[in-house]
Amino acid sequence: MPKSNRIIFHIDVNSAYLSWEAVYRLQHGSSVDLRTIPSVIGGDVTSRHGIVLAKSIPAKKYKIQTGETLYSARMKCPNLVVIPPRYYLYMQCSNEMVRILREYSPSIQRYSIDEVFMDFSNMEPHFGDPVKAAHEIKDRIRAELGFTVNIGISTNKLLAKMASEFEKPDKVHTLFPEEIPAKLWPLPVEELFMIGRATAPKLYKRGIFTVGQLAALDPNVLRQWLKSYGIMIWNFANGYEDSPVRDDGIPMKGLGNSNTLAFDVEDAQTAHRVLLSLTETTAMRLRDAKKCAGVVSVSMTDKDFHTYSHQGKLDVPTDCTDAIYQKARELFDEAWQGEPLRRMGIRLTQLCSNDFFQLSFFVKNTEKHRALDAAVDKIRLKYGSRAIFRSSFLYSGISPCMGGVLEEEDYPMMSSIL
Amino acid sequence: MKVFMKPIEMIAWFTLDGCPRPIRFRMLQPDHSSLVVKVDRIVDQKEEKLAGNRMMVFICQSIIEGVQRIYELKYEISTCKWFLYKL
Repeated sequence: MPKSNRIIFHIDVNSAYLSWEAVYRLQHGSSVDLRTIPSVIGGDVTSRHGIVLAKSIPAKKYKIQTGETLYSARMKCPNLVVIPPRYYLYMQCSNEMVRILREYSPSIQRYSIDEVFMDFSNMEPHFGDPVKAAHEIKDRIRAELGFTVNIGISTNKLLAKMASEFEKPDKVHTLFPEEIPAKLWPLPVEELFMIGRATAPKLYKRGIFTVGQLAALDPNVLRQWLKSYGIMIWNFANGYEDSPVRDDGIPMKGLGNSNTLAFDVEDAQTAHRVLLSLTETTAMRLRDAKKCAGVVSVSMTDKDFHTYSHQGKLDVPTDCTDAIYQKARELFDEAWQGEPLRRMGIRLTQLCSNDFFQLSFFVKNTEKHRALDAAVDKIRLKYGSRAIFRSSFLYSGISPCMGGVLEEEDYPMMSSIL
Repeated sequence: MKVFMKPIEMIAWFTLDGCPRPIRFRMLQPDHSSLVVKVDRIVDQKEEKLAGNRMMVFICQSIIEGVQRIYELKYEISTCKWFLYKL
């Protein structure tokens, strides 16, 4: 089928966390709709997860932004209502929405917990005109599940995603290639997907303020200036993008866990414990994915929010908690300057399959370790992550398994790959 | 009708299709006495899935303290809890 005949929907839940919580509360007899008052979903201030995760539209009027601290949000709006996050509820809402969408197309990509791409190509004989079908889907979600969505319709994923951003809430927008000059090009350049706070100032300096100005540039100039990224944003500005709706998700290139700590880490011993705790959960995920990692990377954020990281290659790929931890500790000791840390993370990349990989003469036999890891994983899966843990965590005040938002389910995280 | 969303103790029977039918419930009054209400008639029933959370809603009719009244009961499937939703 020619690519130009594709019809792609992008379904985006309006202030997802907040409206899900609002609907849940209304269902349980709450008299106020959180969506109609200044309210935010925010983390726990005492454990220093105190940032705004989602905001209501009335909260937006106070210029409260997603990601800012609850402290500064309260300064802007003293009677702000702050609600803690409830991830299992979000998962449940998202699953139920996808279940409705599956009635309309078999090809669905969960881009994140609140964003879904759906391939609607050749579905007209079944559900009629795409715009009409989108309205039907939107209205069904509102009536059955109680929250509102924006649906963007176009011929590729990028344009559909841009279209769903136009006017909120509870709207259907189209952005077909012939509508690009009128609808996409007048937008400020930072509205374009993949242009963030680092690129926008660079573009401003060269007098590029709108998406249209970016689209009109010579791609060769952009390639020399910003390398392959330049070509990508030029393509996006012109609406060129042809990735398929990936129903099986993006092949995983790496995985990691990180955690903001309730206190600043100031000594190496505590830092090592935090690393071990993060390694426990990350390595478990690695084994669950049936992969081995070749590269370990540790990242640290100090108390002034300055982040840096350090990575190193393992001699042979491994999925063994101990081996990964050893490498992570080495890397950490090399990189850490001794300043207080507020956030630490570990990431594993260069993944390969775990049943067939290079061995080496010079490393310890890891067979026993792997058997141990497998047993520990099984115990934790059956009896919970706290059923078995290392004694070094006893009385340390550090959780033996850190990181992740949900323990049981795989939570779809946002990605920069469409 | 006013929204109460008050947890109640319930006696119900279940049809062969697994659909609950409320028979009689007890609720705690503000003065800590309890009031038992016999469900005289189920006027209507529907299922809602707000926020992906399944609940059965029953619109019922009973004589409560000598007055015939219409009210709504809710059964939350994930927790097996009954609520007096509206009275």
